[in-house]
Amino acid sequence: MEEYRKNQEEKTLKKTGLFRGMAAVTTFLLSVSVIAGNTLESFASTIDTALGTQSEMMVTDDKDAVYDKFAPPANLLNEDGTGNSHALIQAAIDLNRQQAAEGSVLLKNNGVLPLASGSNVSLFGIRSQVPILGSSFGVKACGGFINLDEALQNNVTDFANHITTSLSQNWATGQVERGYTTDGWSGDEFEFDGAGFKVNPTMTSIYTKLNETYLHTENAGPSEEYDPGEPSVKEIESVNSSYKDSFAKYGDAAIVVIGRPSAESEDYLPGGIVSGLGAEEPLALTTNEKDMIALAKECSDKVIVLVNSASAVEIGDLKGDADIDAILWIGAPGSYGMLGVADILSGKVSPSGGLADIFPTYNLSAPAMQNMGNFSYKNAADVITRENSSNYIIEAEGIYVGYRYYETRYYDAVLGQGNAASKAGTYASKGNWNYDDEVAYGFGYGLSYTTFDMEFDGEPVIEVSKEGDVTTATATFNVKVTNTGKVAGKKSVQIYGQAPYEQGGIEKSAIVLLNYGKTKTLQPGESETVSVKADLQYIATYDSSFDNGDGTKGTYILDPGTYYFAFGNGAHDALNNIMALQNVDTASLVGEANPAYAFQTEITEDVISRTAFAYSKTGDKISNQLDYADWNYFQDGEVTYLSRADWDKTYPKTYSDMTLTDQGLIDYLNGKYYTLKTDDDTSDIKWGVNSDLMFYEMAGASFDDEKWNELLDKMTLEEAQYIATFGGPSIPGASSIGTVETYMTENAGNGIAVNLNASKDTEAPWNIKSDDPNGNWHPEVFGSSPLTAAAFNPELSYALGEFIGIESLFTGIPILWGPGLNTHRHAYNGRNGEYYSEDPILSGYTAMEFAIGALNYGLIAAPKHYAFNDQETNRAGVAPFMTEQRAREVELRAYQIAFEATKYDTDSYDAGMRGLMVSFSKIGPVECTVSTGLMTEILKKEWGFTGYAVTDIYDDFDLYTSVLTSGATCYDTRGMSGFYTDTTLDSPRFANQADGAAISATVFAGDANAQQAVKESAHNVLYAIASSNLMNRYNATTHVVKLNTWWRTAYRTAIGVCAALTAIFAVLYILSKRKEKEA
Amino acid sequence: MADFMKKQSVGAYFNIIAAVLGVVGIVAAAICSNMTVTYALGNLGTVIALGCSGIVLAVLAVVLPNKFGNHDILGTISVLGAIALFTTAFGKILSERILLIAGLFSYDSVNTVGWQVFSVTVVAFAGFIVGALVLIIGAFTRSVKENA
Repeated sequence: MEEYRKNQEEKTLKKTGLFRGMAAVTTFLLSVSVIAGNTLESFASTIDTALGTQSEMMVTDDKDAVYDKFAPPANLLNEDGTGNSHALIQAAIDLNRQQAAEGSVLLKNNGVLPLASGSNVSLFGIRSQVPILGSSFGVKACGGFINLDEALQNNVTDFANHITTSLSQNWATGQVERGYTTDGWSGDEFEFDGAGFKVNPTMTSIYTKLNETYLHTENAGPSEEYDPGEPSVKEIESVNSSYKDSFAKYGDAAIVVIGRPSAESEDYLPGGIVSGLGAEEPLALTTNEKDMIALAKECSDKVIVLVNSASAVEIGDLKGDADIDAILWIGAPGSYGMLGVADILSGKVSPSGGLADIFPTYNLSAPAMQNMGNFSYKNAADVITRENSSNYIIEAEGIYVGYRYYETRYYDAVLGQGNAASKAGTYASKGNWNYDDEVAYGFGYGLSYTTFDMEFDGEPVIEVSKEGDVTTATATFNVKVTNTGKVAGKKSVQIYGQAPYEQGGIEKSAIVLLNYGKTKTLQPGESETVSVKADLQYIATYDSSFDNGDGTKGTYILDPGTYYFAFGNGAHDALNNIMALQNVDTASLVGEANPAYAFQTEITEDVISRTAFAYSKTGDKISNQLDYADWNYFQDGEVTYLSRADWDKTYPKTYSDMTLTDQGLIDYLNGKYYTLKTDDDTSDIKWGVNSDLMFYEMAGASFDDEKWNELLDKMTLEEAQYIATFGGPSIPGASSIGTVETYMTENAGNGIAVNLNASKDTEAPWNIKSDDPNGNWHPEVFGSSPLTAAAFNPELSYALGEFIGIESLFTGIPILWGPGLNTHRHAYNGRNGEYYSEDPILSGYTAMEFAIGALNYGLIAAPKHYAFNDQETNRAGVAPFMTEQRAREVELRAYQIAFEATKYDTDSYDAGMRGLMVSFSKIGPVECTVSTGLMTEILKKEWGFTGYAVTDIYDDFDLYTSVLTSGATCYDTRGMSGFYTDTTLDSPRFANQADGAAISATVFAGDANAQQAVKESAHNVLYAIASSNLMNRYNATTHVVKLNTWWRTAYRTAIGVCAALTAIFAVLYILSKRKEKEA
Repeated sequence: MADFMKKQSVGAYFNIIAAVLGVVGIVAAAICSNMTVTYALGNLGTVIALGCSGIVLAVLAVVLPNKFGNHDILGTISVLGAIALFTTAFGKILSERILLIAGLFSYDSVNTVGWQVFSVTVVAFAGFIVGALVLIIGAFTRSVKENA
């Protein structure tokens, strides 16, 4: 009996323990569910984007006066007004094809191209099967694509089986895996007229097999220790030992593809290549790549090399190799761009592109390469207290970036001045510096299948006008282009200029691009006069030492003297033409020269004043704003910038061990910029004023419209502060003016990163339905930015902008983070594929056309990264030091052109970009986000920028007051959402302020400047939105409806189930415990 | 003390280990919060309070069964409370670190300092989560020897 009782007690105790344990398990699961729920809600917008769900919807009850401001073109709509996905995709295919056909650059052609119809060709190089179409991180090429062999021999797409890939790491296994950019394709296939060739299936199958282990993807990226992953001949033999038997049948031509990727967050580095590959630099050809070329020579006596890269690959050897018949640069052509490449190979289109970057023989010869990569202050550990402030680069090359270095040095070498022919900076030259050795292909250079005669059609027309302090001076060049060849083709007209240079004076490039245009397709014998208008401010020189007479220094100077202008097949050709006009002995020149292609004019003080450009187009007096960009401003004499005065003595050294000694410099690096005021009289700044005016009534209003004041005064300070604080994908709502929290921004510049059937504008009448067979088409399909720039075709850029604007209507995205507008400082910048060019004029005009085109459909193109994002290495806060002249003439000029958009300005309409994203980087020691000189004085006052100026993702949260008072309009708080709930001003994200201030809704109560800045920020943000297609959705009845999502249901269910189970086990435990006691 | 220890059963040892892990979690959270100004935890005080409370409850879960017997109600409440507090402490740190983690695994993979902070944060995560799991295991077992 006792034993029975003990057994019963034991059993009861075990049960109690079991219930207690289960209650513990469910308590844990309940806690985890609650945490998961809170975390998911905090980042709901990011979760929605990642999972394709929708947490809230902007709803307009009254359907009158909505969707009447912007609409897709009728040819992309069905009869019932819904979107025609097939037509949209077909239009994308056609435009991407044109982009590649016009942007690809024929660098060499011994007459083998175009190939005859019906040619049997063999493809070599693993990139012939897995071409680089986009970036692994950043601008991807997505969805179904057309491969090179398809474009060459097929007539219909095979999207179902050909979807672009990129690599990702499986966090569970640690394995790097290839993944598709789209979850399958069951939609339409599209017919196209291919090149009509037959492609060697043996080589295709070999590379397909080899890529099972190589894991190449169409979206790839560079790395600090790069390996292009080209299989060896031995590996090819291991797959099929008799592969050479196929050469006889497919030997009409051998096409070799050499690839080098470009992507966000990683650079190539000097010497950064895996050892044993037979190359010392990542952009040089490896042994296996050279072996592929040798194999191609075995296969055919017609060898064509396709350079599949956004950066300059070192192909000097191929240029001089008589057995290489043709070289075609194709950039990263995008999902359908191979059709354009095939058009060129087959002769359907005559190439008309020109290089957007110079191709040096060795990239290291660029003076910028002396100072790129990872540099930290020697005493950083002792004096730097702020995160991401220990890295720097000294941009000692000054204004001599890209072709501006090589061409200017060439000019001086020919003229025998400035020790230009010295050995400093020689890499390919056998003795003294020699242009022909150092440069493979020049900027703007490109061949055609036809020939053109070009001549000035009359003298250039110089027009000077003055309105108040503002001088506008332009030179219009009319160039008559005649197709003298046998096939139709387009021709770019590139206008270059040279300002008078005095030895030892202010630095000036011997040649600069001023503007460009392009003919239509000219039939043989046909002529067209292309008119190109050059803004003469772009040939002026920024002199930071000029005394303005008002206590300030620095302005643009147009030195009186002889100015030269020329057209040419690239910068080098144009410079030769100028030199011929200057009676330089043509025998001393590298390349041909024709003085008739150049023009000279005297510009005297009475024609255009030396300081004519001392006032910007807005009437703002220009002066130095970025003194602190120059290292010597703090620690004088420690940096020598490259100068034409003496190329030999000033050729940059590597500044690898800079030591911080100046306290001002250290203070800037440690984030000491702005002191918050606490006792200002702020009574003049109005908040919460009664008014009936609502935001929807501001659609299309100009920035200076007086109604803005009424609207802004109606807001509370807290509402304005929220708008100024939280940006990125969504804008917080402000109930007083009738705005609602709205998802509005997306990434990429080659398309909108939202699937067609996942529009953020769920009520748009043209929406693609969720069951549309093409619904999962992803619009990021276009080629890399350099490809667009290389077309030298403003109309193409405009068309791309328009198309992406149309995409934005279908996807409900009014603001696009793009295009990239930084400078290709050198070929090793991993992100060159996202930026247009080394030349700011080409970049600026290309971006301007894109932005104006996009705005036609209410899409605000917000270029990034303003500014100085010159490398990805240490990009989070790296400090690039440079002269203000360099900053303005090279880095900022592209933004200036895009923002001023003078081509499209009218008396009643201020055209220009309405948005931008600020750089992670600093300018000198000062964060770009807090540089008032950059964000307000230059951007807003000089250029007249109005609009949405957002920081990069989560950048500089510790400098809250400084950022919001600099001119930046808001933070990119990507992923956060929930106005007044999860997204609060006292969010822990802003907890760690460099100045110790606590952020709250009352932090600016005693700071009039900050309050005014916040009001201006709200003004800019709201103005940008009022110009966008978001206004399609606004009227008096607009409000937000919260929606449920499957993940919300899942975590709520988990919480409920866990809570119930916890309660059940708790009860069972208590009952069991009672029983235990009773026993 | 020796008598006290002799009386303890496996559950008590699990609870003691959990308390130690709680200390590890708190220390690691404090360290990762003080590595750089940028990555200071805005809610470190809350984390410490949660962790300390969890430790106190875990210790109570050791002490109380000696007075009230195995699986006593107060001891059980202490265990469940400690689990909830440790898990919440983990959640609080996670909410502060999620942007860092997202950045490291996407656009900011070269953030060396961030990785260092992340690695210490992982120790804090492990301290609290493993602590909670150990408490769960302990909850199934006896804390004191019946015949001791």
